[in-house]
Amino acid sequence: MTNRPPSGGLPGDTPEQDLLELVREGAARDGVEFVHYRPRFVVPGTKLERRAERRVAFWLMVAALGGIGYLLVSIFWPWRYVSDHGPNFLFTPLLGICMALGLGGLGIAVIGFGKWLMPEEEVIQHRHDGRSDEFDRVTTVATVREAGASAGLRRRGLILGALGMSVLGLTGMAIAPLIGLFKRPGRQLFTTPWRNGVRLVRDDGTPIKPADMKPGSIQTVFPDVPGGSTAADAATMLIRLRPGAHVAIRKGREDYNVDDYFAYSKICTHAGCPVSLFEQQSNRLLCPCHQSQFDVLDSCRPIFGPASRSLPQLPIRVDEQGYFVAKSDYTEAVGPAFWERP
Amino acid sequence: MTDRPVRRKGGRFRRSSGLVVVGVALGLISVGYALASPGRGGTSAVAAPDDAAQGQRLYNQSCISCHGRNLQGVPSRGPSLVGVGAAAVDFQVSTGRMPAPYQAAQIPRKPPVFDEAQARQLAAYVQSIGGGPEIPTGSLSDGDLARGGRLFRLNCASCHNFVGEGGALSSGKYAPPLRKATRTQVYEAMLTGPQSMPVFGDNQLTPQEKQDIIAYVESLKHERDPGGLAIGRIGPVPEGLVVWLLGIGLVLIATLWIGVKA
Repeated sequence: MTNRPPSGGLPGDTPEQDLLELVREGAARDGVEFVHYRPRFVVPGTKLERRAERRVAFWLMVAALGGIGYLLVSIFWPWRYVSDHGPNFLFTPLLGICMALGLGGLGIAVIGFGKWLMPEEEVIQHRHDGRSDEFDRVTTVATVREAGASAGLRRRGLILGALGMSVLGLTGMAIAPLIGLFKRPGRQLFTTPWRNGVRLVRDDGTPIKPADMKPGSIQTVFPDVPGGSTAADAATMLIRLRPGAHVAIRKGREDYNVDDYFAYSKICTHAGCPVSLFEQQSNRLLCPCHQSQFDVLDSCRPIFGPASRSLPQLPIRVDEQGYFVAKSDYTEAVGPAFWERP
Repeated sequence: MTDRPVRRKGGRFRRSSGLVVVGVALGLISVGYALASPGRGGTSAVAAPDDAAQGQRLYNQSCISCHGRNLQGVPSRGPSLVGVGAAAVDFQVSTGRMPAPYQAAQIPRKPPVFDEAQARQLAAYVQSIGGGPEIPTGSLSDGDLARGGRLFRLNCASCHNFVGEGGALSSGKYAPPLRKATRTQVYEAMLTGPQSMPVFGDNQLTPQEKQDIIAYVESLKHERDPGGLAIGRIGPVPEGLVVWLLGIGLVLIATLWIGVKA
C-alpha cells in the first residue's frame, strides 16, 4: 500500500477510514492505484451539502411525478382520435412529456449524485504487457484438462454418441430455412396470370370498354382470375393516348394494341416498383423509386434513369361483349432482371 | 385557358420582360374593365350568350397571342383550345395558371388575374366554340371519405403523394400540392387533365367517385400535425432527418458540455 491520500487520517481513526483502507488494499492487489481522492464535503452536514442533497432529491421527485403522470394520463386522458379539436390530440404529447420528465429526471439525479455528492476520485489501472506468465499458462491448461478428465466422456460412449446425434439434428434445424434457396423456381418468373381471353378489370373487378377512358388517361388493370388483383406480377397499365400521338410500334407487335389503347406492365424493369406516374403531355411514364422514365410512344423504351429494359407490352383485343381482354400472356418476363432471363 | 403546357422550343419565347409588362397591363385593363362594366349574374354556371361575348373580349385581350384568333393555338406558344371545354378554362384561369407569365416546363399556380365571373365568361366563350367538359355544379360535398381515400391512393397518390403534397415529375415538371385547390378545381382537374395530369373521365371515375376523392382531399387540408410541426408531411424521411440532425446534435452538445464540466 503506497500513496496515502493527503486528506485521510491514520488508518483506524473511524470505521469509514477502515473501509477506505480495505478498498485501497484490494484495488492495489488488482493493479489499481488511487492517485487522487477527496471527499466533496470534508465536514458533513454543511449548508452546501444539504443544498446538493436537495437538488438530487428534487430531480428524483421530478422523475417520480413524471412516472405517476404517465400512469394517470394513460388511464384517464381521453385518447380516441376525433377529427375535431379537443383535448384528445394532447394524449400522445402528454405521454411523451411525462416520459421525458420521468426518465430525464432520473438521469439528471443519477449524474448529479455522482457529481455533487460522491467523493472526487481518480484511479489508474496498470495493464500488463504481452502474454501471461508461465505459471498462469500451465495452471489454466491443467484446469481445462482436468475438467475433461473428470467428465470422463471417453469412457461414456453412449453419451458421446447421443451428443453427436443431437449436434447433427440441431445443425439440420439451422440449415432447414436455407433449403428454399436451393429449390429451382421453374417457369414462374416467366409467366403471369394473363392468358388469351382473360378480361382486363379494375381493382374492384369491373371490366373496361374502349369507350370508358378519355384520351390521355391511364388505368391500372388486373387479370380477371381468382387472386388476379393481388398477383405480384400481373399489374398492368392500360393507357389511352391522345389523338395525334405518333407511335413507333415495334416490329412483331403490330397487333398488340387496340387503336390508341396500349397495355404495359406496371412493374419497373429496374427494381420492380410500380411505374404509374403517367405524363399525358409528354407521354412518358415515370417510376417514383429511381426516376426511370419510359417513352410510351416508343414501346416504353427507357429514356432516363437506371432501368435498362423496356416495359413488357401486353397484347390486348376486344372480346365479343365489347370488353378488353388479353390476347396472351406477356411475351417476355416482367419485372427486374434475373440470372436465367435470356 | 389551356390544359396543355407549352413546351420550350429553342428558347425563342423565353422570359421577356416586355411581354410580361404588356401582359400585366392587359390584365389590369381587363380587371378595370370588369369593375367598370355593369354587374352580371355572377357565379351562375349556366352560361348566357352575353357571357360568351364578354369572354371573347377578354380572350382577345389576354389569350389570343398564344392560343390564336380562333382558339386553334400558335405553334411553340400555346395549344389549341378547341374542345377543351369550360371546365379546363375555369381550372386554368381560377388557379391563376393562365394567363401564363412565361413559357416554362410547368406553369405554376399563382394569384388569379381574372375574378370568378370573368373566368366563367372566358369559359363560356371557349365552350361556345368547341364544346367539351362543363364546369361542375353543386356543392360537390357529398363524398364518402373512406372510399375517397382508397380511390385517392389508387389513382392520385402516385404523383400527388398520399397526403396530397405533390412530387417531382420528369424534366422540371411536378405534381402540385393540393392544399389550395378548391372542390371545383379538383373536380375540373380530374375531368380535364391539366398539364401533365392524365384525364379521369366520368366512366373511369364516376361523378360520385370524384366527390369521394374531393372529400378526402378536403379532409387532408384539415389534418392536424400531432407533433406540432408538419415537416412537409412527406413521411419518415424528413422526420428522420430532423431527429438525426437535431436530436443527435443535442446529444452531442450535451456530451461535450458534460465533458467540459468534468
